[in-house]
Amino acid sequence: MPKPDFLTAQFLTNAITIGIVVHVLLVSAGLSIYLERKISAYMQDRIGPNRTGFDLGLPLLKQLFRGFGFWGLGQSLADGLKMFLKEDYTPRNVDKVLFMLAPGIIVIPALMSFAVIPWGGTFAFPGFVMPVLGWEIAAADVQVLGANVSIGLIYMLAVASLGIYGVALGSWASNNKYSFLGGLRASAQMLSYEIPMGLCLMTVLLITGSLLPSAIIDWQISNGWLIISQPIAGVMLFICMLAECNRAPFDNAECEGELVAGYHTEYGSMRFGLFALAEYIHMITNSALFATVFLGGWTLIPFVPVPGLRPEDVGIVAVLAKFAVLFGKAALLVCFMIAIRWTLPRLRYDQVMQMGWQAMIPLSLIIVIANAFLTFYGLTSTVAMLVANVAILAVILAVQPFLPRANTNRKIRIAGSRFSPLEDEIVQAAPAAAYAADDPRRTQVTTGVM
Amino acid sequence: MTIRDQDIVQIRTAKADRLESIYLPEVIKGFGTTMRHFFTSFGAGKTSKTMQYPEVRREDLKLEDGGMEVKNFRGFHRLNRDEQGRVKCVACMMCPTICPAKCIHIEAAASPWDDREKYPAKFEIDELRCIYCGMCEEACPVDAIELTQAYDIVGLSRSEMVFDKEKLLRIYDETVAKKPM
Repeated sequence: MPKPDFLTAQFLTNAITIGIVVHVLLVSAGLSIYLERKISAYMQDRIGPNRTGFDLGLPLLKQLFRGFGFWGLGQSLADGLKMFLKEDYTPRNVDKVLFMLAPGIIVIPALMSFAVIPWGGTFAFPGFVMPVLGWEIAAADVQVLGANVSIGLIYMLAVASLGIYGVALGSWASNNKYSFLGGLRASAQMLSYEIPMGLCLMTVLLITGSLLPSAIIDWQISNGWLIISQPIAGVMLFICMLAECNRAPFDNAECEGELVAGYHTEYGSMRFGLFALAEYIHMITNSALFATVFLGGWTLIPFVPVPGLRPEDVGIVAVLAKFAVLFGKAALLVCFMIAIRWTLPRLRYDQVMQMGWQAMIPLSLIIVIANAFLTFYGLTSTVAMLVANVAILAVILAVQPFLPRANTNRKIRIAGSRFSPLEDEIVQAAPAAAYAADDPRRTQVTTGVM
Repeated sequence: MTIRDQDIVQIRTAKADRLESIYLPEVIKGFGTTMRHFFTSFGAGKTSKTMQYPEVRREDLKLEDGGMEVKNFRGFHRLNRDEQGRVKCVACMMCPTICPAKCIHIEAAASPWDDREKYPAKFEIDELRCIYCGMCEEACPVDAIELTQAYDIVGLSRSEMVFDKEKLLRIYDETVAKKPM
């Protein structure tokens, strides 16, 4: 049997990378739930989960791990176990097919989008002959990522925006008005924030001239990290990512106060668990993308090549080190996202829309146009772009007070209410209740009766 | 009850100034606050307010550290014994009469002892109905019923939380060292 054509060193690397990264992602999604609880606890002067170990309630293991709490690290495992063992309840009158599909549909794009993140740079794949089949795999320099596609960033954008289908379908299938409103909000929010996200990535595209994440990292190795030269675009991309993950302060889709958990109101057990899992995987992949595009990928220090992390280091140790650096950056960004959630209050829905359409989109358009000019005139050095960014910020701050403002937070009078009576309507302003009879202020009050 | 006009306070929030209206400086300020709390309470640090309950109990702490004032804490009931180990209660029915939650049920019987006429053949307190007001304790003419400092007695069913005479006497045996009669 001849060797199939697709079986190259690159293909094998892709397969191995996917196999490893999927598991790392799933485990770290569980761990980031623990992290979220722990960080929020410390921020609120609490301690957080610190008792659940790995004994699973079994007496033997309990005896083995006696006196060792694992700092509550078993909490996410216990949570997952609880989710699996709970009753998988389906309410009546839901769209059964979509209701079953939605949690899967939200997890799949979340797991797909990490494929173009260049986790380990270039790897010198050693050639070998497959034992039984006798196929020879030629040695080659390969990229350590899930899929070596030439449209990297566009793939990332396309797949990431698929995640909204899970939310929209789940909310629609739930046959619940609150869920439906949550899904609508999530869709509208996603639509509004995809645009500035795309424009911010377009800035990166203009400067680096490539869609490949690995090429963007190479550009940053020679020209410095993009967050230094493009801080506005970086901050805006991060905000858009928060909005796209449906993370606070943009978690309008699942606000407890108004929508009783929004799109996953009707979901229980592991289906709900999948929604939560997808959110955390989304966070990790988006953080990894941000680290790749703006924080120099697997480089440790801007401008300074660290031995072992240079592009020409292609050994297995270098690949693992690069993976560790990029994953560490992503983990720090996840912690930052969590910290933001427990710091900022949720934006109201109209504020989210206002911020998206009146602030983010115009600003990102300005950034794209400015960077187009800079690129056209060849001013892509760090200092020139930083100066341009500061200038843009200064101009915006100077112009912003003179821009026409929409009058939000205005009081809408309810005609006929106590505060806005209709014409020639007499309003009983003072209480006629008996409790006020012996109130010394009563005389005062009664004189106020119209 | 309608609210009076004079009690209504109209608050006008200040308009956001130029820096506040671009959000980010305020965001960073708020981030500083949470980060300060994060680092000062990290690993049960100095601002951490959590108490590790089963290991640390409020009655063992000082009052200024959030401890419990055990002298006037009203926990579960107990039935006191006299010097000969007999139940002190004389079944005078004062406590079920005064009880606002109507959770004490006494069945009186002729006393087998010479120093009193009656004694409780049955004495039941529904601890789930009880509001722990301590009126029974005040009404008792012979100091037979008392509230203890115990607050962590649990039961797996409602009927288990209806304490009978034996259980109340047992609580006395267990708490008499901590809270003498």
